[in-house]
Amino acid sequence: MKMKRHVTCLMKKLTEKSHFSTLQITRFLSTQEAIERRSYLFTLEKKRQIENVGRIEKIEVQYKGIPKDCTLVMNKNISTPYDCARHLSEWHMESSVLALLDGNLHWDMHRPLTESCTLEFQNYKAAEPQQVNKAFWRTCSLMLGACATVAFKDTVPVHLHSFPLPDIRSGSFIYDVDLPTLSDWQPTHQEVLTLAAEYVKLCRKAVPLERLEVGEELALEMFVDNEHKSKQIPNIAKTNGKVILYRAGNHVDISRGPLISNTAQIGRLAVTAVHKLTGPTEDGVSQLYRFQGVALPKGVVLDHFAFSILMDRAKKLNPARSPFLKKEDPEINEQIENVAAQA
Amino acid sequence: MFPNSLKLLWGALQKSRFDNAACNIRGASRQPRFRPPYWYVPKERVWTDDYLTKENKQFLEEVIKDKLEAQTALEKKALTSPILNDVKKNVTWTPQTKRVGLIARKIGNYPLWCKDGKKVSTTLLQVVDNHVIKYIPPEEYKPMIKSNVKWVEKQKYGCILVGAENIDPSVVTKDYCGIFDSVGMLPKRHLCRFVVSPESALPNGTPLYATHFRVGDCIDIRSKTMDRGFQGVMKRWGFKGMPASHGVTKTHRRPGNIGSGGEKARVWPGTKMPGHMGNRWRTLRGVKILRIDTKYNVIWTLGVAIPGETGAMCYLFDTVLPLKRNKTAPPFPTQPFMNDVPKEYFEDTIHPFDEPTISYYEEI
Repeated sequence: MKMKRHVTCLMKKLTEKSHFSTLQITRFLSTQEAIERRSYLFTLEKKRQIENVGRIEKIEVQYKGIPKDCTLVMNKNISTPYDCARHLSEWHMESSVLALLDGNLHWDMHRPLTESCTLEFQNYKAAEPQQVNKAFWRTCSLMLGACATVAFKDTVPVHLHSFPLPDIRSGSFIYDVDLPTLSDWQPTHQEVLTLAAEYVKLCRKAVPLERLEVGEELALEMFVDNEHKSKQIPNIAKTNGKVILYRAGNHVDISRGPLISNTAQIGRLAVTAVHKLTGPTEDGVSQLYRFQGVALPKGVVLDHFAFSILMDRAKKLNPARSPFLKKEDPEINEQIENVAAQA
Repeated sequence: MFPNSLKLLWGALQKSRFDNAACNIRGASRQPRFRPPYWYVPKERVWTDDYLTKENKQFLEEVIKDKLEAQTALEKKALTSPILNDVKKNVTWTPQTKRVGLIARKIGNYPLWCKDGKKVSTTLLQVVDNHVIKYIPPEEYKPMIKSNVKWVEKQKYGCILVGAENIDPSVVTKDYCGIFDSVGMLPKRHLCRFVVSPESALPNGTPLYATHFRVGDCIDIRSKTMDRGFQGVMKRWGFKGMPASHGVTKTHRRPGNIGSGGEKARVWPGTKMPGHMGNRWRTLRGVKILRIDTKYNVIWTLGVAIPGETGAMCYLFDTVLPLKRNKTAPPFPTQPFMNDVPKEYFEDTIHPFDEPTISYYEEI
């Protein structure tokens, strides 16, 4: 009897002293699960925003261009310039990269129109191609991030950091990626080719680039697995509490400016180099890998010799500002956050 | 009907018939092939219009110029290498050593005169922009088509890839360019393998000039013969035909009989008949070099029977003929570039044009 009491006492003490109650059950998301979760949340939010519109109001869209100027009656906050193109022809759908509203505002093809306006479509042969080119470069950077998440094996965690403002004159588009398990990685020639192949595979899926404006909390919820993005989101949302997200297939990322209509519009491309960026230890981030690439829009034909010159230039380290900068200088700090938001 | 021994004799006699002499048409002289083999990679790319601005086109030209300069630097490095400048190496030439050849273009026919006044017809072969692209040692040299299959250890000849005539890189495919990129050179229009002994190895980028051969040497010229198309039996095989008149009906240029009766009563394979003539690879052996021009790298060879039409590419090798082979050491492995070199070299029996005219004196 005494033995039994001792044992039960011991059991109680053990359970009291146990740390079961203090253990927080956190579930670590694998990269694949995180991607799917983000995409799912994106779909839910998009559906919710469309349903939120409520009573559908009509807007008049004055289309100017080929084959002839016409007026389209579209739905407010639901119809996109892509829907306007669908009314016109397949060529308009496939070749339009950006929409030009009222002659001065560049608009994504898959972004809902908010009011009556004048609409023009811009393709790669536009008279003033600067914004189109920037949109193209930005999209290529985003897709490079998507390629980096997909290309590595499941055992290698990939945390995307950011990509800076598009600068075509630098010769390459870049994405800074954090690979915590790879401390000293020099990609071989074959590995670089494999990255390019993965990129091409993603682009050939021909998915549209959907735009969505979400609130800060939802954005933080979506990027809970990525500590770099989680830090950037509050700064990005400082201006109006909204974070602009883009989705291409399964991949969701943050970007400011307009992107092109469809990944099929990316033609000849090459991932050229991966450079290591090092800097002072900043909350655990001591090094980043800068993935670099160069691409041409679909339809631009260039012989291999000229393209090889472009590739050789893109192999050199891109001089764009590295995310590693002195934390003491508040001005530069602001610029870093602005850069992440504006990219 | 025939006993066995007589059968054999009869078979041998059949083979010695004039119109059955070229029975072995599949052996030495292959028929022209029109479908490329599985390993063939196209050389010229599909032409597309690239809408480049004028400035971009100029930039591309500048890039090509820079690459040419880099190539010239590589050339100079190759010329100063110990392989070409080591005097001791020159002594290792033996009559059995195989050295590299040249790729030349047949540019025309001209007469030359001997010192006794006799006129000889000559062919001009110009050596344009020849460079050594690569040397492949015997262990690694694995051609797709081998006439002699040997053990790897017994293979004693390597291979030198030589390129001729620079070409714009944007005209050719990336794969073809890649052969040259790996050694840091711009692509060439023609590429040829020369089977050489390992002592004649040359560094990448070595230029080859006409002075690689000497005046008086004999060379073998391999080239594709002129394409004469579908030809009749008189032009193709030299048949005599039939008389033009004297009652001959409807048979003037025809082959006549193409077989015989008896046991093997059929048309033998390889019977000479009308067909496609020309456009075959042929090697002309033992062609003598009479004159070399060092400024334009032109070789003047005796005779006009060099296969091919004017403008055709020829491959020049040292002769294999035993009586005409090199007895003294030629420039080995090749003649390096020299600044002070006479403009022309004439063979001893040939009359140089700057000497006084050939005169004949009456014998009193």
